[in-house]
Amino acid sequence: MEQKLYVKVLKFFLIVFVTMLFFFPIYWIFSMAFKPFPEWTAAGGKIYWFPNNPTFNNFRAIFSRKLEMSPIAGTAIRPILNSLTVSIIGTAIAMVVGIFAAYGISRYKAGGNLPFMLLQLRMFPPIAIIIPIMIMWAFLRMIDTWYGLAIIYGVVTLPFSVWLMKTFFDDIPKELDEAAIVDGCSNIGAFFKVVMPLAKGGIASSALFVFILNWSDFLIALILTDRRWTTIPVHISKLQSAMVGALYGPKAALGMIAAVPPIVFGILIQKYLVRGFTFGAIKK
Amino acid sequence: MFKKQITLKEPKGMDAARFGFFMILPALVFLLFIIIFPLLASIYLSLSEWSPLTGGGTRWYEAYKFWGWLSNYWNILRDADFLMSIVRTFIIVAVVVPVEFFIGLGLAFLFRDNFVGKKIFHSIILMPMMIVPAVAGFVFYMLFQAQGPVNAVLSVFAFKEVSILWLQGTWSAMIAIMIADIWQWSPFMFLILLSGLMALPEDQINAALILGASKWQRFRMVLFPLMKPVIVIALIFRGMEAVKIFDAIWLMTTGGPGTATESISVYMYKHGFKHLRWSWVAAGGIIILIIITLISMQALKPIKEREEEQAA
Repeated sequence: MEQKLYVKVLKFFLIVFVTMLFFFPIYWIFSMAFKPFPEWTAAGGKIYWFPNNPTFNNFRAIFSRKLEMSPIAGTAIRPILNSLTVSIIGTAIAMVVGIFAAYGISRYKAGGNLPFMLLQLRMFPPIAIIIPIMIMWAFLRMIDTWYGLAIIYGVVTLPFSVWLMKTFFDDIPKELDEAAIVDGCSNIGAFFKVVMPLAKGGIASSALFVFILNWSDFLIALILTDRRWTTIPVHISKLQSAMVGALYGPKAALGMIAAVPPIVFGILIQKYLVRGFTFGAIKK
Repeated sequence: MFKKQITLKEPKGMDAARFGFFMILPALVFLLFIIIFPLLASIYLSLSEWSPLTGGGTRWYEAYKFWGWLSNYWNILRDADFLMSIVRTFIIVAVVVPVEFFIGLGLAFLFRDNFVGKKIFHSIILMPMMIVPAVAGFVFYMLFQAQGPVNAVLSVFAFKEVSILWLQGTWSAMIAIMIADIWQWSPFMFLILLSGLMALPEDQINAALILGASKWQRFRMVLFPLMKPVIVIALIFRGMEAVKIFDAIWLMTTGGPGTATESISVYMYKHGFKHLRWSWVAAGGIIILIIITLISMQALKPIKEREEEQAA
C-alpha cells in the first residue's frame, strides 16, 4: 500500500501528538515530584509547566521521620516495603496455586467448569462481598497483617495466573510429557522435570503480570489494612498535613515511586500483555 | 506383551484422573474458602437489620436478634442513591468503553504502517495502563484543578480565561472521571486491536484491494468480520473491569459533589465503611452479585464458545 508523502507526514504528526497527550499525565506526576511547594498548584496565579526550582524535598519529606510535613503518615519507607512484601507474596500464592491448577486443566481436563468460575469471580466487584471477608479476616486475626492481604491478593489474581499458565502449558506439546511418562517418569515427575523447565518464560512473564495487578490494588488494602500494613496507594491517599492541606508534591513523589516498577515490568513483558489482559483468549 | 499393556493402561487411566484432581485441589479449596463463608454471611446479614452501631454491643453473628427478613432489600431497591449508583456505573461503562474502543482502533490503524521510532511510541502509549489507578486518579485530580493544566490549555483555545470547576460540577465531574478512565484504558484497546490487526491475513486484504473495494468497504466487508472475535473479547474484558470502577473516582471526587459521581463500588464503600450500614450493604452486595452474574453469563458466552472451538 503506497501512501503519498504528505499523508505519511500528517499521520506521523498525529501519532506524535497523541503520544504526547497520553504521556502528559505521566510527565505531570514526574515533574510534580520535583516541584517545591509554591509550584505544586497555580494558586499563585501562575502555572508551572516545568519545575522551575527542582528539588528533592518532596522525596525527603516522604522519607523523613521529622513530621513537620506529614503529621499523620510519618515515613513512606514502611508502605513501600509493605507494598513489595504483600505484592510479592500474593503473586507467589497466585502463581503456585495457579500453575498446578493450570496444568491439571491443560493436560488432564480436570476441574470442569472451574476456569469459567474463575472468570466470573473476576467480574464481581470485590466491594460486594468485602464486608463478610472482613468479618472472616477479623475472626482469623488477619486484618492489618501481611498474610491477610497476601492471601486475598492471591485469590483475586488467581483467575489470571490459572488462565495465563493454561495457555502457556497448552503451547507445550503434550507428546513431551507423555513420552516422559512412558519412559518411566511419574505424573508429577513429568510435570517438574519436563514441562516446568519449558514453561519458565511463561511463568516469569505471568508472575510479572500478576505482580503488576497486585501492586495496583487500592480498594482491598484500604479496607483490610489499618496502620501497620498500609500499601503505597493507601498511603498516597492519606498524605496530608494540617498546615498546608494535601501534600501534592510528596504525593506525586510517592506516586512516581509507585509508577516505576509496573512501567518497567510492563515494558519487559510487552509481548505477553495482550495474552495477560485477555486471560489468554488472544495469544497474538 | 498384550496382557502387560492392558494391566498397565487401566490403573494409569485412573491415576491420571486422580492426579488431575489433586492438581486443581489447592485452587478449588482456595476458592471455596473465599466464597462460601462470605456468601452465607452476606445473605445472613442482609436479612437482618443489624449494624456495628446497633446498641447493646452485639456482634455480627447475633444479627438474628434484629431480624428483618427482606426489609433491607425492599428499602434498598427503593433507595434513589443506590439505584442511581447502578445507573451511573452503567452510564460510565456505556460511554467509556466505546470511546476507548474507537481511540484504540484509530491508533491501531495508525500503527499498522512502519515509521521512525515506532517501538518507542508504542511503549509510551502503553504506559498509562501500567500506572497504579489510584495514582492516575491523583494526577487527574491535579490536572482538573480550577487553575490546573486542563483549564490552562482550554484558555489558549478559547482566547479567554477558562476556569471551570471540573470536580465541583455534577456533570463536569463525571466527564473528568470518564476522561481519566479513557486515558488509562484506551491503550488496552489499542494493544488488543493492534495485535488483532497484525494477525490478519495479508492476502485477503490485498484481494479486496485488487477487486477495487473502497476503504470503507474493505473495512466493513473484510477487516471487520475477521476482527470480530478480537473486538468482542476486547469489549467484554474492558466492560467487565469498568463496572468495578472505584480508585480513580475515590481520589478525584470521593463520589462528590454530593452523590454525583458515586459508582456502585463508591456507594458500597461509603455506606459500608463510612456509615457502617453493614446489613444494608450486604443486601446491596447480593443484588449486585445477582445482576453481575446475569450479565456475565451472557458476556462470557462468546469466550466459552471460542474456548470450546479451540479445544475441538
